[in-house]
Amino acid sequence: MPHSMPNKADVRARALVIQLARLGDVVQTLPAITALRAQGDVSLDLLCAVSFGRLARAIPGIDRVLPWEGTKWQCWAEQWPTTTDSALNEVRSYLHELAPMAYDLAYNLNQHPRAIMAAHLLARQVRGPGQNGPLSPDLPPWASYLRQVVADRRTNRIHLSDTFCGLCGVQPPGTPPRLLPITASLPPDLAAIGDREGPWVALVVGAGDHVRCVPIAVWVEWITAFLSASPTGQVVMIGSGTERDKSQAIQDGLSSVLLGRVWDATGRTELPQLATVLARCQWVVGADTGPLHLGTAVGARAMGFYFAQARVHETGPYGRGHWVWQAEGERHEARGDGSDLSPYPSPPTPHLWPIAESVELILTGSCQRVLEGWSLWESHLDDWGAYFTEAGSPVMPDQQREAVWRTIGAPSAMELSS
Amino acid sequence: MNLFEQNLSLISSSNPALAAAIRESGGKAITIVEARNGMPTAMESGRWIHSAYDPQREAHTWTDTQKSAWQAGEVAVVLGIGLLYHLEALCRVLPPEAKIAVVVPDVRVLHDACAARSFEDWTGRVEWVWGSPDEMAAQLVRSGAPLRFMSYTPAARLHADAHSAIETAVRAQVAARASGRLHVAVVGPIYGGSLPIAHYTVTALEALGHRVSWIDHSPHHSSYASIGQLKEPRHSLTIQSKFAELLSMHTLARLAEDPPDLVLALAQAPLTLPFLEQVRRKKFITAMWFVENYRHLTYWQQMAGGYDYWFVIQTGACLDALRHAGAKHVTYLPMAADLSAHRPVTLSPDEQREFGADVSFVGAGYANRRALFPQLLSNDWTFKIWGNEWDGATDLADTIQRQGARIDTETCVKVFNASKINLNLHSCIGDGLDPQADFVNPRTFELAACGAFQLVDQRSLLPALFATNEMAVFQSPDDLGKQIPTWLQDSGARATLAAAARQRVKAEHTYVHRMKELLNQVGMSQPDRIGALLRGDRQADRLAARSEATPELVPLLRSFPSTQRVELKDVAMRIRSRGPSATLSRDELLLLMLDEYRAETRDLV
Repeated sequence: MPHSMPNKADVRARALVIQLARLGDVVQTLPAITALRAQGDVSLDLLCAVSFGRLARAIPGIDRVLPWEGTKWQCWAEQWPTTTDSALNEVRSYLHELAPMAYDLAYNLNQHPRAIMAAHLLARQVRGPGQNGPLSPDLPPWASYLRQVVADRRTNRIHLSDTFCGLCGVQPPGTPPRLLPITASLPPDLAAIGDREGPWVALVVGAGDHVRCVPIAVWVEWITAFLSASPTGQVVMIGSGTERDKSQAIQDGLSSVLLGRVWDATGRTELPQLATVLARCQWVVGADTGPLHLGTAVGARAMGFYFAQARVHETGPYGRGHWVWQAEGERHEARGDGSDLSPYPSPPTPHLWPIAESVELILTGSCQRVLEGWSLWESHLDDWGAYFTEAGSPVMPDQQREAVWRTIGAPSAMELSS
Repeated sequence: MNLFEQNLSLISSSNPALAAAIRESGGKAITIVEARNGMPTAMESGRWIHSAYDPQREAHTWTDTQKSAWQAGEVAVVLGIGLLYHLEALCRVLPPEAKIAVVVPDVRVLHDACAARSFEDWTGRVEWVWGSPDEMAAQLVRSGAPLRFMSYTPAARLHADAHSAIETAVRAQVAARASGRLHVAVVGPIYGGSLPIAHYTVTALEALGHRVSWIDHSPHHSSYASIGQLKEPRHSLTIQSKFAELLSMHTLARLAEDPPDLVLALAQAPLTLPFLEQVRRKKFITAMWFVENYRHLTYWQQMAGGYDYWFVIQTGACLDALRHAGAKHVTYLPMAADLSAHRPVTLSPDEQREFGADVSFVGAGYANRRALFPQLLSNDWTFKIWGNEWDGATDLADTIQRQGARIDTETCVKVFNASKINLNLHSCIGDGLDPQADFVNPRTFELAACGAFQLVDQRSLLPALFATNEMAVFQSPDDLGKQIPTWLQDSGARATLAAAARQRVKAEHTYVHRMKELLNQVGMSQPDRIGALLRGDRQADRLAARSEATPELVPLLRSFPSTQRVELKDVAMRIRSRGPSATLSRDELLLLMLDEYRAETRDLV
């Protein structure tokens, strides 16, 4: 079924932001959406995975969220060999329901062919990957830059959120983005989270990729150190249902006198509930960047342990006053001095962990020493987006970002301005 | 007009011959009684055919299950008559365009149904299928539409044999029409007797025009064997188990790289249950041809639920045992021969001298052979034994050739061709003939394919495969001893039987025949998947003809050779081949999007 043209009476141009990647990517799209919204009176919708739909509705500046149902597409792909016509008809109906009218412009933030096809199916014009045609291998400058970063990340200083801004043709907003307040009721035994004196720390027990998981023994030691140092401190363990075994193992390793201040929310929260829990905590600590980004978007401060593939400058918590512990091997990359001689493309799980140091940082706001094998980075924000400075160094905005922005540029997104 | 006449008139309007046959039959095949809700219900031999409480409600429950399996365009073939409550319910839930056929193996049951309850307008949409199995099969396959068999078990059990015969006839007739090409992954064992059969299977599938991915695990044999030489059996077993897991992973990788329509494993294929569960999650169809005696090799008990389809060389208790263990579909599929491997050959005088004998046996030294063969030593004929595992058989030492070395297929063929009488004694662990003599071994077919005369021990499944004028059979060791001199004296009779047996193999018992049967069995069970492929529904011309709702795709489909099988990936590749600056239609974008998800669904490893 072809798209119909917008009614002439509808004076607002219609744009669609396409973000079909994971939770962290959706949250990291907030600065781009904020900047796009600031550009003018444009109707702005967001296409994201159906599982993030409720959360995405809390993004300020988004008029409508279009839920992308990947499992349906999988079914149709499987059906196609047997029911070619009916599968195509179902797909057409689905797309028509999703977007009865074609968008004037799609801001595509993903390089995956699925996102490129979606952009061309739903909009008349595409900005971002696929803007030169659905089959064109040519990438726009910011997409090329992103691909280059993936191939050789050492010297990059541009945060992923800010490259999303670049893809959309807007400059970073310069303010930390926040989600609209999300109020989701919690299970009765978790309802008191945040009520008592804190500090409350949401602890992300797992990570999407097992090589990025903090070992259970480390978490046991960390919680013990934190609760011992903070008599009123509380820890809320968060994670998916598949991480319940991990949270149980952590509890099994803790002294029973501490268990009264440990809350287990793993596998018990949908995304809006997770956002509610995070909003009630002062800190979110972990190695999984998705919950860290979500935490910052609801007002918590974040402290990340970055190792394996995670790198502070690209995916560190966005905003001001967040901290990242970056593991050795990545440290040289983080400094950009090209001195990493490690035989591993990314280091294995560290042997030593900055447990006492990170607890001290949360409780006192500073850290006397940085454990060997790690570096510590603090987040900042300016007109060129997020940047990180190493603890103990002067807070100096990195000049490289501005140079990149001036080279690649931020062409106006305002083709749509009426 | 009474009830019976009214119903008969409804049937007569579409099938007067059937109506006449019903009237003539007189009925009385089933017993009609009143259900608790007052409706007529039926029994046979003390067993209920319909619910004793509410036959209609029961029929609706049955229909719900059948309806979800039925796909548009399929003919629903109902097995089981009874009082037709289930047929009526089906007619009411399937869309008006759905074709419904009901198989009538015994018109007497229909007579009883006509007399018991009133049929209504729904009978007008029913095609009544009756006659001989071949006639019924012909009637069913005539339209060329996919058949979806729906068995109403309480009634169908009365005519299980007839239904089986019809299904066999349908398979054969569908096979004759099959023009579609499949991609089959054949997974072989690491070693053993099923390894050559895996090779023959590959050859047969290719001969039928299917594309075969041969996943050969025999190169790993030496590693597997070296693990088996560890002193501690526990170590061997543990590591060999891990080895099987590794080979399962290897198989997964092969499947992921080139996804087949069907994964066909031969007995002893090193595939683990977790592997089978994973491939099922990814919607692969799996089949196992278990070319082993199920009483001796019993690992099927753990694997039964893992495969979608089982094919076995035994019937009766074997089928029941597998079903009881969780197998969803079990079918008898006897052994066969590959005519390119086992064939008549002309031997040189030297070869005739070396391989020839009055009486020969090729095979391993199982206990029953060691016990029986010494009785056959005689000064009246020469006797040669070929094959391995004869260590310690001192009384047979003079007859054992090549010091009991294993001989290859080519040598076997020479022995078969050179010998006047080839003994074929099925192995067993006792000291006589196999007490549970059911299946027929590959050697039977191989000897016949060579045009070689054989004396084979009696097997319960042999008469259905070879007639008495095609093969000489002995009933006991004494009988064997008596038959040898008789046959040795009658070269003409030997030649006649051997030639007839070879003709029978060529006509019915090659691996090509077996693979046809196997694929059609799977195709009949899955008319919308394998069945559709076998019918050629995925060929470019058929796809184009069916693209009513997507006429804009027709030129794209017509760009393929008309009989080429076209899949989503082929269409996507053709679209992508138009180059980076191509402008794509909306449907082309949709197809590319679907293809992206298709590629993801087979992400196995």
